[in-house]
This record gives sequence, structure tokens and C-alpha cells, in this order.
Amino acid sequence: MSVGYQAVGWNRQKKLYDRTLALGVGLYLALFLAISAAVNPNATAETLVIRAFGTGALLLLHVVLAIGPLCRLDRRFLPLLYNRRHLGVTMFGLALVHGLFSLVQFHAFGDTHPLVSLFTANSRYDSLAWFPFQPLGFVALVILFLMAATSHDFWLANLGAPVWKALHMLVYVAYSLVVAHVVLGSLQAETCPLLTGLVGAGLVAIVALHLVAGWRERALDAEHAGDATDGFVDVCAVDDIEPERAKIVTLGGERVAVFRYDDKVSAVGNACRHQNGPLGEGRIIDGCITCPWHGYQYRPEDGCSPPPFTEKVPTYDVRVTRGRVLVRSEAHAPGTPVAPAQVHAMGSRDA
Amino acid sequence: MPERDEFYVGYLPQAPPRLAQRTRRVAALLVVAAVLIAGGVALGFARLPRATFEFGNEKTFTGTVEVAPYPALLVRRPGNAQGLPKFSRYHLVAFGKHGADEELREWDGQAVTLAGTLVHRDGQTMIEIVGGSVRAAEGERVATGAPEALGEHRLVGEIVDSKCFLGVMNPGNLKPHRACAARCISGGIPPVLCVRDASGAAVYLLLVDRSGGPVGRRVLDYVAEPVRLVGDVERIGDQLVLRFDPREIERL
Repeated sequence: MSVGYQAVGWNRQKKLYDRTLALGVGLYLALFLAISAAVNPNATAETLVIRAFGTGALLLLHVVLAIGPLCRLDRRFLPLLYNRRHLGVTMFGLALVHGLFSLVQFHAFGDTHPLVSLFTANSRYDSLAWFPFQPLGFVALVILFLMAATSHDFWLANLGAPVWKALHMLVYVAYSLVVAHVVLGSLQAETCPLLTGLVGAGLVAIVALHLVAGWRERALDAEHAGDATDGFVDVCAVDDIEPERAKIVTLGGERVAVFRYDDKVSAVGNACRHQNGPLGEGRIIDGCITCPWHGYQYRPEDGCSPPPFTEKVPTYDVRVTRGRVLVRSEAHAPGTPVAPAQVHAMGSRDA
Repeated sequence: MPERDEFYVGYLPQAPPRLAQRTRRVAALLVVAAVLIAGGVALGFARLPRATFEFGNEKTFTGTVEVAPYPALLVRRPGNAQGLPKFSRYHLVAFGKHGADEELREWDGQAVTLAGTLVHRDGQTMIEIVGGSVRAAEGERVATGAPEALGEHRLVGEIVDSKCFLGVMNPGNLKPHRACAARCISGGIPPVLCVRDASGAAVYLLLVDRSGGPVGRRVLDYVAEPVRLVGDVERIGDQLVLRFDPREIERL
């Protein structure tokens, strides 16, 4: 969390993350280039650079796309998500090198502007097998550029969460275009089943992870069907909520995080104001709800981030009656103070 | 603290110990996977044939310029040609994706020296000339002479741009290179039909239209695809030429 904007809010974990990323990317490129030069000495240097950076970007894109559903399935993967935007920007950097080298190699120094040539040199838009695959990669690169350029929290705050989120969901369009780019391009000239197999396995893995994670999420989105009294809905037993943790329920079409802490229960909207992280999968630290994605914090009593931070989430009225938790399905405006429900009556442990 | 109770907050200096250990293992696995995939993918790409662009190694050549159908430099073979044509025929092209027609038009039939970089593959040689390097030279002028007719043939192959295919790019053919081949041929690089026999050995035929002129952009829609061409094959010096009608190219 930070009050102002910095290019990168460096901390020890981010440095560790980025060093590991640099090591992986460096090893990939060095090995790919060295092995390719050894086994394919007749390939031109530009070809090797295009291949190394293109395949590296594709591999990294798979890692970026896999982290989200992996974290939904097992929260022990969350450390990989913390600095995922650096993965994304690095992936874009690799793709940009691939794209620029390809544009110069295949389209520059000719009788037509390279960007015009990119879309017109291969005219077989009427054929799937001979379809121009390079424009597909170009459009994907434009999307990845927009994502990389707006990855900073400055853009998240200024574009607004819905626009920012929609823009960054375009990564799935970019991924589809990249897969088509590879299948209709390089794979058309290669016969090794390993290359086709890797692209296919990557696609299957990404689709399967998202389907499984989505299936798990469906249960969360089922409207809670508990008894309603005075607008309060019975959502669970107090003992269903682990101490300092939350249970996520859906009320009025919204996910609500119901936290238990210090013999009290509070409920807030489940979506973190930062990047819509699931607050209900977080925990109470130093008296504050702490988002599992990037550690943004909110006070459970009023949904406000502690000063000097200014983020706010909606709050909900809560009651505890005979060991059951009841939550009013209508949310208060973000940042509205709501008295927590006491689990045990004051001065008693037997209520 | 049990592992399930550990909670990661990225801006705190230390990650919970078990989560940190597990994350180190996952990161190590990812790095190992990256190394294995780098090796597998690099080994998976097809081996490329020898084709050379002597980039950065400019040389001076002396010979006779012949502009039609595509610019070439005729260079007398030194010593005993042992049954080969008395001169070698080097394709001449300009920098980038451009033919050398404009630069050489005024030198047609004249003896010249010029500077350039060699591109060669399978006995075919091309010179990428250095712009403005052509100078008149003393010495004998040679001419191609009458072509030797080798009859009508029905040929299956791939139309490639000769500059990339001979070595400026490698690979310089098939689908990934299609757009570049079209750009090169559009810019005046001579198109060549590459025909392979059962053993994979390649024969190259320079493509000209029925009147013997350049086919240029009329073949752009067919580059890099398997095609069948019907026409008259001729031998000009050590160069095979296919005279055909570009409107009759057949996709396979």
C-alpha cells in the first residue's frame, strides 16, 4: 500500500521476485540461443533472436495466465501473484523484441511502409491454411502494450477499476491471437511433434485451469438461501468461520466477506478496491482485514483503510444469535461504520 | 504456525517460513521447466540447409552487366572451364528488398567493376551491390548468347524470392516467410521456382513471362505455396529459366 505513486514500490519480496524472474528469462534466452546456434548453425542471427524472444514470451504468457486460477485453487500460490505485473511487463518486453525484429526482417527496406506491408504482403485472407498470421501477432502485441502501459496503480486509479479490469481481461483475446499466430505461422513450417505438442499442452492447461477454478467459484456465487428476518439472512454458524478469517457468502448478488476476530463478527464487501482481490480469502492482521493479493488493509468496523490510506469498501449490518451469524443483505455505502456483532455477550463466554 | 495458517503479505520483509520454502521450490521448478523447454524447443525446430550471406564482407567484382530479364553480372571463369559455360552469371540486387534494375539500366552490356556482398546457396550466387559503386571497367565484354531450349515442362515447386532464399534469410521459404517473399519480389528481387526431386535436391528456375520479361508482381499471390507451373525451360549460361504465363499458375 502507498499514499503516493512511485514507478515501482520496491521491497525485499519484489526484489527477490524480480531476481528470480531475471534468472529464468536470462537462462531461457541464453540456452535457447546457444543450443539453436549449435544445432542450427545455418540459421541467421535474426531468425534465432525472433525465435528465442517469441517462444520466451509465449512461455511467460502461459505462466502469467496460470497464476490466477492456481491461486483460486490453492492460496499457497499467492506469492507468485503478488508481483505478477512485473511478469506481464517482462513478457511484453520479450514480445516487443520479437515483434520489432520480425517487422524489420520481413517488412522493412521494401517498396511499402512496413506497417502497411504487415497487413497487405500476404493477401490470402480467404484461406485458413495461408491466412496472414503476422497481423494476428501485431494485434496481440498492441493489446499487450496497452496492458503493460497501464499496469501501474496510477492508471488503475485514474481509469477506474471497471475500465482497468476490462482492459486487462483483454489478455485472453491476446492469448487467443498469439495461439493462432503460432499455429498459422511457425508451426506451418515445422514438423517436430514436440513443438505442436507444447503449444497444444499449454492451451489445454490454461483452459483446464480456468474451467476448474471457475467451477469452484460457481458455488460461491449461489445466492445464500438462509432464513431472512428483518432483512437479515442466516449465513452460517459462528464456528464455521475460523478465527481471524472470513467466510464468503453471496447476498443480493454481491459477494460478502464475513470476518470473525476478537470474539466479534463484521461483514464487508468482498472486492478489494485495489484490484478486486478477494478480501474474504484474506485474514485479520493488526486488527485490519488484509487482502491476500497485495496486502491492502481495511478496518472491519467501517471498511476504511487505516490513515493515511483512503480506500473504502461497503459494510454490512451483522447479528449473532444463538451461535448463528445473520447479515443484512443490503450494503451500507463504502466506509460506513457498523458496530461488530459480539460472539459472546459482554462478560460471558456462554451466550 | 501450521502451514494453513500462514499468510503472505508481499510488502512485509519476511515471508512465513513454510510458505517461503514452498515458493522457493515452485520458483526453482519453474526455472528448471524454462531450461528444459528452451532446450526442447530449440532442438525441435527443423535443421536449416546451408545458405550464406557474407554480411560485412564486401568485395569488388568485374564483369559485364546484363539487365534483362533480371540484372546479372557475367564474369569470365578463370582458367579451364572444363565443359562449364565460359562465364559465371551472378544475380545482382540492391540493398534491402529492392532489385537493381534502376541502378544498372544505364550499364547494360558494359564492362564494369562494382562492390558488393555475396549471397550463395547450392551453386547459385547473387551479389547485393553497394549503391553507387558501379564504375566503367576496361576489358572484354561478354554476352549470354542464344538460350538453349530444353522443351516444355510441367513443374511443381515453390516460388521464392531469390535473395532471401539464397541466404539473406534462413529460413527463406515456406509460410513464415511468405510476406517477406512477396515484399521482396514486389520490390524487384528476381522470383525463382524451387523444384525438388525425390532426393530433396533442388533445381532453381528463374521465372520470366512468355515474352521473356520479368513476371514481378503477377506472382505475388502464389509465393511460398506449393504450385504447378507449365512452361518452356531454357538454359542461359549456367542458369535455368522458365518461360510461362503467370495467369496459369495452379495452386496445389
